[in-house]
Amino acid sequence: MEELDLYREVTRIRAIELLLNRHIEKHGFGGFWHPGLGQEGIQAGAVAALRTDDYLFYAHRGLGYALAKGMSPVTLLADLFGRNGGSVGGKGGGTVHFVDPERSVLGQGGTVGSSFVLGAGAGISAQMLGSDRVVAIFFGDGTAARGTWHEAALTAAVWKLPLVWICENNGWAISVPIGEQSPTENIADRAAAYGVPGVVVDGQDAVAVREATTEAVARARAGEGPTLIEAKTLRVRGHFEGDPQRYREDLADGLEVPRDPLAILRERLPAEQADRLDEEARAEAEAALAEVLAMPAGDESVVTEGVWA
Amino acid sequence: MSAAGATPVAGVGQLGYARAINAALLEEMRRDERVWMLGQDVGRMGGVFGLTRGALEEFGPGRVRDTTLNETFIVGAAVGAALTGTIPVAELQFADFMMIAGDEVFHKMAKWRYMHGAKLSVPMVLRLPTGVVGGVGAEHSQSLEALGMNVPGLKVVLPATAADAKGLLKTAIRDPNPVLFFEHKGMYRVKGPVPSDPDFLVPFGEAAVRREGAHLSVVATGLMVPRALEAAERLATEGVELEVIDPRTLVPLDMETIVGSVEKTGRALVVHEAVRTAGPGAEIAARIQEAAFFALDAPVWRLGALDTPVPQSPELEQLVIPSTEQIAAAARELAAL
Repeated sequence: MEELDLYREVTRIRAIELLLNRHIEKHGFGGFWHPGLGQEGIQAGAVAALRTDDYLFYAHRGLGYALAKGMSPVTLLADLFGRNGGSVGGKGGGTVHFVDPERSVLGQGGTVGSSFVLGAGAGISAQMLGSDRVVAIFFGDGTAARGTWHEAALTAAVWKLPLVWICENNGWAISVPIGEQSPTENIADRAAAYGVPGVVVDGQDAVAVREATTEAVARARAGEGPTLIEAKTLRVRGHFEGDPQRYREDLADGLEVPRDPLAILRERLPAEQADRLDEEARAEAEAALAEVLAMPAGDESVVTEGVWA
Repeated sequence: MSAAGATPVAGVGQLGYARAINAALLEEMRRDERVWMLGQDVGRMGGVFGLTRGALEEFGPGRVRDTTLNETFIVGAAVGAALTGTIPVAELQFADFMMIAGDEVFHKMAKWRYMHGAKLSVPMVLRLPTGVVGGVGAEHSQSLEALGMNVPGLKVVLPATAADAKGLLKTAIRDPNPVLFFEHKGMYRVKGPVPSDPDFLVPFGEAAVRREGAHLSVVATGLMVPRALEAAERLATEGVELEVIDPRTLVPLDMETIVGSVEKTGRALVVHEAVRTAGPGAEIAARIQEAAFFALDAPVWRLGALDTPVPQSPELEQLVIPSTEQIAAAARELAAL
């Protein structure tokens, strides 16, 4: 059952979000964790519409995108904690770089928004090689300000590149609310300038996100070009864990998720099944974190490795 | 030397530097269907300098893509394509425009592989028409190759002959790493012997000794190579023999040949069209003194462009970069020290 699979992914991501929150509160953390608490429905919902061989350029808010794409929580947490077992071999730290060529997870740039033009290039490859692979590119409302989206959108629309842009609009570009950044209510409205569909969807409803993405993916696969999906959500935590958020009064510094995507999805499932999946997810997250914390950190040799092919 | 028409062995023909680049592009696209090109006006027009002529007609719009005026897209899309199984050769109309695509060149192209644990590679070439060419102004005339040396992860190529333009570009396209290919737009029409062998490759990291000489080693790049050779001709009449070395690639840099020469001559002059301050010559001079200090009979000197922007006037712009006369004068003085 599709809803069951979707719930499993949302609760797996949630379990890691909550576990990391507790861990960082207690033990601190060397890098930056940009929590995605409350945005799991977008990450799981959109990725559920992708095939394993569809390319993924994820965003920095959590690790749900890559987890839903099939990467192991051990690998992802190892990257987060800069351990040897991570996908980048101990060079990691924070949520920026995960990679998995077998699952077509292509990574992320530290300058957010750089994935727009890279993603377009992946779309050109797919087109040139005659495959029907699609490229999914996640970003936030803050990143939507980058010129790179417009620069990619212009040509992607003309060349009908197989792209799906998924904007997680959580209302905050670090400390500045979206109303002070966007002249229009919807970021999706910008798609009209390039003659491509701009779709607004409830980001707390994972099923709605999956459906909107499925439609966009089908369009891209059929050679009809890109779609911009704007999933409305909210930022439950700070820009990074530990952000005192003095600029903000709309939410208390808690873990409660208004219009919780997990709760919304739960209504569609028998309670005992959901409970079981929650329990499995908690156990998976705890086992993964324990395994990762026991791993050695990346050693000196990795510093000079991998500059050249 | 003339090609023996009757034998199947590939010959050597006279070809301009630009035609040599064009031949390399077309041959590599014929050899490997994953190779493609993008840039402003590379298709219908055949490139603003005519370097991509014939490509659209032969390979079609899927592999020869005219882009909008959008350097960010040109470089960024090339990186994304390189990550996903094709081999893009991107053209910026002027090397200066790297600045517009700075994030894509210096962060994505250079570092994506490293940042992602060497799980991916970025096999692409960024073609960069470089140097002073005749009145194109401060933002279209720079020699920015030192930037590529300053950001690890980029190979930096700077051909000074038609043969090298072809052989180095073919090597660049076949290299699994990202390459900045600086082609001197003032040399596009300079002809030279070019092998027609489709597998003629010039390896990276092997300097060419353009002229042997006992008294002074001149390390020159790009347009400064023919000027240094001309200066060497003049000094030879005065009994001063210059050894002219063209590194051909700055990353990797063949210090072995340079140091070997300096150990023989005891003197070194480094000449380039990039600004003198923190130009490639600063690095080369520093490495020479580190490796060959006790062989040196005189300090290592550098000639480079003045520390000013390049003026738009075609007459004045030549005053900014080293002339043959300046190279000859500096060599004469240094050889006598």
